[in-house]
Amino acid sequence: MTHLLDVRNASRRFGGVQAVNDVTAHVDEGELVGLIGPNGAGKTTLFNLMSGFTPLSSGTVAFAGRTINGMKPNQVARLGVGRTFQNLRVFPNMSVFDNVSVGAVGTLPQGPAGALFGGFTKAGTERADAISRRTWEALEAVGLTHLAGELAANLPYGQRKYLEIARALAMRPRFLILDEPAAGLNDTETRALAAFIKRLHGQGLTIMLVEHDMGLVMGICQRILVLASGRKIADGPPDLIRRDPAVLEAYLGVES
Amino acid sequence: MNAFEGTLSKESGGRRWLVPALLALLVFGALPALLAGFDRGYFYQIANLALIFVLLSASMHLVTGVAGLLHLGHAAFYGVGAYTAALLTSKLGLGFTVTLPLSGVVAALLAFLVALPTMRLVSIYFAVATLAIGQMLYLVMLNWVDFTKGPNGIIVTKGFELFGVALSGRLASYYTVAVVVVLCVVAIGRLSHSYYGNALRSIREDDQCADAMGVRTVRLKMEVFTLSAFFAGVAGALWAHMTGYISPGDFKFSESILILAMVVVGGLGSLPGAIIGALLLILLPEGLRALGDFRNVMVGLVMFLSILLLPKGLLGEVSALRLVRRQLGGAWRSTGKGEGIGWR
Amino acid sequence: MIDPYYLQQLAIGLSLGMTYALMAIGFTLIFGVLNVVNFAHGEIYTLGAFAGLVLISAVAPPIVAVIFGALAVGALAGFSLERLAFKPFRRFTDEASLKSRAMRESTLLSSLAVSIVVREALEILFGSEMRSLPFDYLINTPVRIGPVILVTGDFIIFGVAAAMLIGLQYLLTRTRIGLAIRAVSNNPLGAKYVGIDTDRTIITTFVVGSMMGAAAGILMGLYYGAIFPAMGFVPGIKAFVAMVMGGLSSIPGAVVCALILGVAESMATTFVSSGWSDMVAYAFLILTLIFFPNGLFGARRERV
Repeated sequence: MTHLLDVRNASRRFGGVQAVNDVTAHVDEGELVGLIGPNGAGKTTLFNLMSGFTPLSSGTVAFAGRTINGMKPNQVARLGVGRTFQNLRVFPNMSVFDNVSVGAVGTLPQGPAGALFGGFTKAGTERADAISRRTWEALEAVGLTHLAGELAANLPYGQRKYLEIARALAMRPRFLILDEPAAGLNDTETRALAAFIKRLHGQGLTIMLVEHDMGLVMGICQRILVLASGRKIADGPPDLIRRDPAVLEAYLGVES
Repeated sequence: MNAFEGTLSKESGGRRWLVPALLALLVFGALPALLAGFDRGYFYQIANLALIFVLLSASMHLVTGVAGLLHLGHAAFYGVGAYTAALLTSKLGLGFTVTLPLSGVVAALLAFLVALPTMRLVSIYFAVATLAIGQMLYLVMLNWVDFTKGPNGIIVTKGFELFGVALSGRLASYYTVAVVVVLCVVAIGRLSHSYYGNALRSIREDDQCADAMGVRTVRLKMEVFTLSAFFAGVAGALWAHMTGYISPGDFKFSESILILAMVVVGGLGSLPGAIIGALLLILLPEGLRALGDFRNVMVGLVMFLSILLLPKGLLGEVSALRLVRRQLGGAWRSTGKGEGIGWR
Repeated sequence: MIDPYYLQQLAIGLSLGMTYALMAIGFTLIFGVLNVVNFAHGEIYTLGAFAGLVLISAVAPPIVAVIFGALAVGALAGFSLERLAFKPFRRFTDEASLKSRAMRESTLLSSLAVSIVVREALEILFGSEMRSLPFDYLINTPVRIGPVILVTGDFIIFGVAAAMLIGLQYLLTRTRIGLAIRAVSNNPLGAKYVGIDTDRTIITTFVVGSMMGAAAGILMGLYYGAIFPAMGFVPGIKAFVAMVMGGLSSIPGAVVCALILGVAESMATTFVSSGWSDMVAYAFLILTLIFFPNGLFGARRERV
C-alpha cells in the first residue's frame, strides 16, 4: 500500500545550513501524526517542503502517489494538502465568510466567465452553490457561523485561529497540516483545541500537527516524528517517544 | 454583528431590485430628460465624459482596488483602445459596432502580452513596471508618426452607430455611452462581487497565503490585468467616437494618476466608491470652472486629503460590500436556511 | 581608430549620464537607503530649479549664491514633504504596521498627491511653458578636448556629482548621523529601541536627499537654460531606473547605472530619432526588473 504522504531522503540546504538532512518519513491515510523537535530542528522547513513552499535540494516528496517536487504551493493545495500558518495569516480586510470562501474557491475554481455568466448556466450555479456549501460547512465545523459577516480583523486571537482552520477545511483537504496551532493559547484554549483536532480526526481527516507544545502532541497524536538538527531521530507512538533515549537527549534533555 | 444578513433574509425577492431600478431610472430617464431640457451641448459632453471616467475608474477598481495591483499606466490602455477605434475607422472605414469590441480586445491582448513577463513582480516593482509600460505606449502614440500621426492626433470621422444605423444626435450619443458604460460596470460588479472576486481580494491581502489555499495567484493577476485593460479599451473607443478627435495628450501619465485618484478617493476595493470618485473628480472641477487653472491642483488636493483624512475612502470597501449585498445584490442570495448566504 | 563621431556621442552620453546621476544620488538616499517610496523627488528637483530662477530674476546674485538658495529651498521642501506626506502614515509601534503594504502604499499615494499639487501650483504661478534663464548664468561654454567638444557644465556637474557621492559616503559611513540613518534603514524598530531618534533621523535623510535633488534641479536648469513645471518627471524616472539597476540601496551602483543609461540613450539617438530615446530608459527598467531583480551588480537586501 502506498502512503498518503511519502517523504524520501528529503534534504534542504540554505547556503551552508543543512536545514533538513536526509529525512525519510510517511503519513498514512487517517493518521494523526505529530511533528516535534527543538527550535531550529527543521520542522518548519520540512513542513514547507511538504506544502510546496520550499523546493527540495534533493530527495522526493510524494502525495497520494504523485511526486510534488517542483510543484507550486497552489498545485499542492489543489491535490488536497491544506495548511495553516504559524503566525496567523487571515485576510484582515475581508469578512469571515469571504475568508473561508477563498479556501473553497481555491480548490473549486471560479473563473471570470463563471463570475460573469455563472448565474445563467446550470454548471455555473452548481459551482457557486458548491463553494457556498463548503464555506458554510467549514464555518459550522469551527462554530463561527454566527460571525460570518464580521470583519476578520475584528475577531479575537482565538477565533482567528479557528477561522484559519476553517479556511483550510473549506478546501476539503485529504491531508491537513497545522503549524503550531497552540501557540499563544492558554491551557483551557489548548484543551479545547485538542478536543477539536481529535474531532476532526474522528471524522476521517488525516492530520499532521507541527508543534512545540509537548502536552498537546503527546495527548492526541497516534504517532510522533521527532526532528533534531535537520535529521529524523525518532518515529513512533507517544509512549515509545517518551522513553526514547535519543529524544530525551536531543529534545527533553535540553528543554527540561 | 452581521446585521446585513438579518435584513437580507427579511428582504426576499422584489425589494432588492428597487435600488438598481432607481439607479437605472436616473441614468436612463431623469438625467437624459434633464440634459434634453437644458439642451446645451456642453452638458452632454460633461455627462458623457463623466460616464467614460466612471468606466475607467471601475476598471481600475478591479485591478487596483480588488486585486491590489497598483497600476500606474492605465491611461495607456485607454489610449490603445481609442487609437484602435480611430485607426480602424480612418484606415479601414469600420463603424462603432465593430470598433467598440475590437478596441477592448486589442487593449486586452496588449495587456496580456505585457503581463506575461511583469506579473511576477511584487508591489512597488509592479507599479513602476506599469508606469514604464504606460510611458512606452505613450511614446509610441507620440513618435510613430506614420501610424498614429504623432502629436497631431487623429480625427475620427464616424460617430456612434449600431449596425449601420447612425446614433448621431446628442441624446442618442448619451444613450450609447450610458448603455455601454452601465453594461460594463455591471460586468465589473459581477466580477468583483463573486467568489472570483474573493479570490482576487485574497491575493491583495496575502498572496502567499492565497497560494496555499489553492488560488492560482499569477494566473488570476494576469486575468484581472487583462480584463481591466479590456474595459479601459472600451472606454477609449467611446472617447474616440464621442469627441471625434484624439491625440496622445489625452492618455499621458497624469490621466493614469487621475483615474487612480478616483479609485483612492472613492475607497480602494469599493466599486460604488470608484464610481463616486469618478463623478466627484470630473464634475467638481467642472462645477468649479471659475477657478480655471486650479482644477488640476484640486485633483491632487482631494487625493491628498482623502488619503490623510479618509484612509478608507468616501465609501470604504467594507461598507460598500455590505451596501452591494443588501441593496444591489443581484447575485447575492439566501439559501433559505436563514443565515445561508452566498454568491451565485 | 574609433570614429570621432562615436567619441562625441560617448562624451554626450557620459555627460547626460552624469546629470541622471546627480538626480539619482539624492533619490537613492531617500528611496533606497531609507526604504520609503517617494514619488515627489522630481518635484523637489523642479522646486530647486525654480528657486534659482526666482533668485536670479529678483536679485541676480552670483552663481554660488543661487546654488545655496536652491539648497535652502530643497532642505525646506524635504522637511515639509516628510512632515506632510510621510509622517502622518508612519507608526513605529509594531512590526506588523511597519511592514504592512497599506502603509507603504499610502505613502506612495500621498507623495504622488503632493507631487501633483506642487507641479500644478508651479504651473499656476509660472505657467506651463519653458522659462529661460539669463544667458550669462548658463554653464555651457564649449570646451574642446581633442576631437570631442564638451561644455563647462559637464565639468561642473561631474565635480558636483563626485563631491556629493564622496560626501554622502563619508556621511553614511563615518558620522554618527550616518550611522543612525543606516540603523533606521536596516531596522527602524530596533533603532528606536536602542535609543536612536528615528523621527529626527528620517527628517535628516529627507533634508539631505532633497538638498541634493534641488541642487541637481538648478544645475540642470543652468546647464540646459530652460525651466518648466513638469521638468522633474523624466529625470525622476531616469533616476529611478538607475537606482533599480544599481540594486536599490547602492548609491555608487546607481551612479554607474546612470552613466550606462546616459551612454545608451545617446548611442540610441544614432539609430532612431530623439523622440524615442526615452524608450531606452523604460526598456532598461523593464528588462532589469525581469532579468536582474537584484540589480546589475547582484546583492540586494531582502525586501518585499
